[in-house]
Amino acid sequence: MIRLRHIRYRYPHTGWVLKGVDFSVTDGEYLFIGGANGSGKSTLAYLFNGLIPHYFGGTLQGTVTIDDLNTLEHKVFELFSHVGLVLQNADAQLFNSTVEDEIAFGLESLGLPGGEIDNRIREICRTLKLEDLLGRSPATLSGGEKRLVAIASVLCLNPSVLLLDEPYGDLDWEAVERVRQTLSEVNRSGKSIIVIEQRMGKFLHDTSRCLILEQGKLLYQGSPQSAHEVLLNAHLLPHYSTRGNGAPGKEPLLIAQDLSYRIKEKEILTGVSLELRKGETLALIGRNGSGKTTLLKHFNGLLRPTSGRLTFKGEEIQDKAPSELADQVGLSFQNPNDQFFKYRVKDEVMAGPTILRKIQEDWLQEMWQVFELRALLDRSPYRLSEGEKKRVSLASILATRPKLLVLDEPTSGQDGRFREALATLMAELKNRGITIVIATHDLDFAQAVADRWIVLHEGRVVADGAPEDLWRDEGLIRLGAIGRPNSDVG
Amino acid sequence: MKRLDPRTKLGLGLMAIAAVFIAKEPKTLLVESIVLLAALPLLRMGKDLLHSLRYYWPMVGLVFIIAFFSFDLLVALVLAVRLFNLLTVSFIFFRAVSPEETGDALQKIGVPYGLAFMLTTSMRYVPLIGQKIRHIIEAQSSRGIDLRLRLKNVGNFMALLMPLLAQSFVLADELALAMESRGFGRQGRSSRKHYRITFVEYGLLLSALTLLVIFAWWERG
Repeated sequence: MIRLRHIRYRYPHTGWVLKGVDFSVTDGEYLFIGGANGSGKSTLAYLFNGLIPHYFGGTLQGTVTIDDLNTLEHKVFELFSHVGLVLQNADAQLFNSTVEDEIAFGLESLGLPGGEIDNRIREICRTLKLEDLLGRSPATLSGGEKRLVAIASVLCLNPSVLLLDEPYGDLDWEAVERVRQTLSEVNRSGKSIIVIEQRMGKFLHDTSRCLILEQGKLLYQGSPQSAHEVLLNAHLLPHYSTRGNGAPGKEPLLIAQDLSYRIKEKEILTGVSLELRKGETLALIGRNGSGKTTLLKHFNGLLRPTSGRLTFKGEEIQDKAPSELADQVGLSFQNPNDQFFKYRVKDEVMAGPTILRKIQEDWLQEMWQVFELRALLDRSPYRLSEGEKKRVSLASILATRPKLLVLDEPTSGQDGRFREALATLMAELKNRGITIVIATHDLDFAQAVADRWIVLHEGRVVADGAPEDLWRDEGLIRLGAIGRPNSDVG
Repeated sequence: MKRLDPRTKLGLGLMAIAAVFIAKEPKTLLVESIVLLAALPLLRMGKDLLHSLRYYWPMVGLVFIIAFFSFDLLVALVLAVRLFNLLTVSFIFFRAVSPEETGDALQKIGVPYGLAFMLTTSMRYVPLIGQKIRHIIEAQSSRGIDLRLRLKNVGNFMALLMPLLAQSFVLADELALAMESRGFGRQGRSSRKHYRITFVEYGLLLSALTLLVIFAWWERG
């Protein structure tokens, strides 16, 4: 059992992150803790296993007890077998060379004898159906498999509470379903589970109680069923409005003909043909690993096709380098931190135009306005919130005024509020005549912003049409190319 | 090879590196290269080496060119072949011994657990850092910041270094969190793997050491 009493906490040199939180988690309970980015959710996770205060320092007021152990008096290595924490970043969570060593790590920390460790590894792998992965390197696993291995690596310690920080993060609908089923089974076996998430979905209804955190305070505490209204009002479930008024033209901007891409004898794209019209917003839908990102990288010369042709405004581009196409095609990847290298937001956004010698003052003014950056121009990009970082990163791509904007999983790791704001942004950009391609497995977002969907499955185009027609296509759902309607938001 | 005790592998690896440094004559170095290249298909590593060659040819080439202009052809050849042999020995060693095995071997010979773990974890994260570098290059190229290895792009390299450093610090911090949360700081760790050097392995190590001593004596003469 976990009990938090009158908790106030601040990291060294910051303001209060948690401002008076009180609740308990009983044995066998399945608790959901939701909230926007920056609401204090992860901080709460670090409190549960003593990382706060022992690792982070800072000022902690109030008491946290886990199985009657006060976290102030017990160090993390005394508490880790009571609360098993699965962190958000799988690359950090999985730090061994094989899945077997990964699961063994915590057991070795407990000082268990070799035979007992082997037994526990076998048992947990049988329960979570991971036997086939034991010899694999965690780096080679899919997103869903990584999450399950991370769960196994703490569950084998037999903790009374399993705590997961954003376990559904950037998983597609299929992986979400697998993790969700696993967690339900673990809970049915009598274990308490705490899921901390900013993404809302049907998994919310698996839980027995729901807490919503807002700016370090509890906004809601009650049943998941009655949380829906609160989530909508707090915009944690996004309200998507219109798609933008600009009607797509008839003239093609980009044409791919029979595009194939192979790496190390493995076919990633097979005979992909598509036509993108000027001014349209196209969503490229598919599961993780369906070839979406590989296809996008062909649009700006990052990859060259093994065979096939690609034309942009009537000119063949398949042999061009990204630097030759950067002022025509802007490609924004998932992680904004891959870009930041300047001390000020303004310099960051202007880095591309400066190198390409394409600074257009009036266009930059529009960028500041559309992305609401005026107040942030002199701030460091590293110190912004996740949503602000994403806005700066998008503005820095658009600053060179490309004709085509390509976005790879733009909603990944973002809360409902940002998704909503991004949909509005997409509509504004569309009204300004910019052609947009969005690769995503976030079907609700794609439905809200795109004029047309192209569905990619195992490297092939399997459907091309209006979102309304494809959204409920049973054939595509059975194929696994798309998820069920409302599979993300429940 | 897989069944050998990691300490045996470590010992053999160190002796192979010593042999590369001891060799002075171009002919001896070339014989070493031939032996190493012949060993690769036997260890089923030939294909992987071909893949890695493209990364270390530029280094070998650069050493050859610098030595050629600074000294003469013979010195350039000796240095380039020695570097090639050294890289090939390291390649075989890291392919044959997993980071965990290296860590276990280091602990068994008395290196403290924390230090051995730090070394093996750094090895484990090399591919991940490589992946991060690729992502950063792609993200920057997509907005016109060219990071290909060209002289004109030297000024752009801060755009690679800064995000890489910032993300490496974040990763290191999160890794520390993950390790703490799985009991890294706890005293009395156990190890489920029990290693034992067999008589055959002792024989192997002794033979290798004898050969190394004879080889060193031969090269001196």
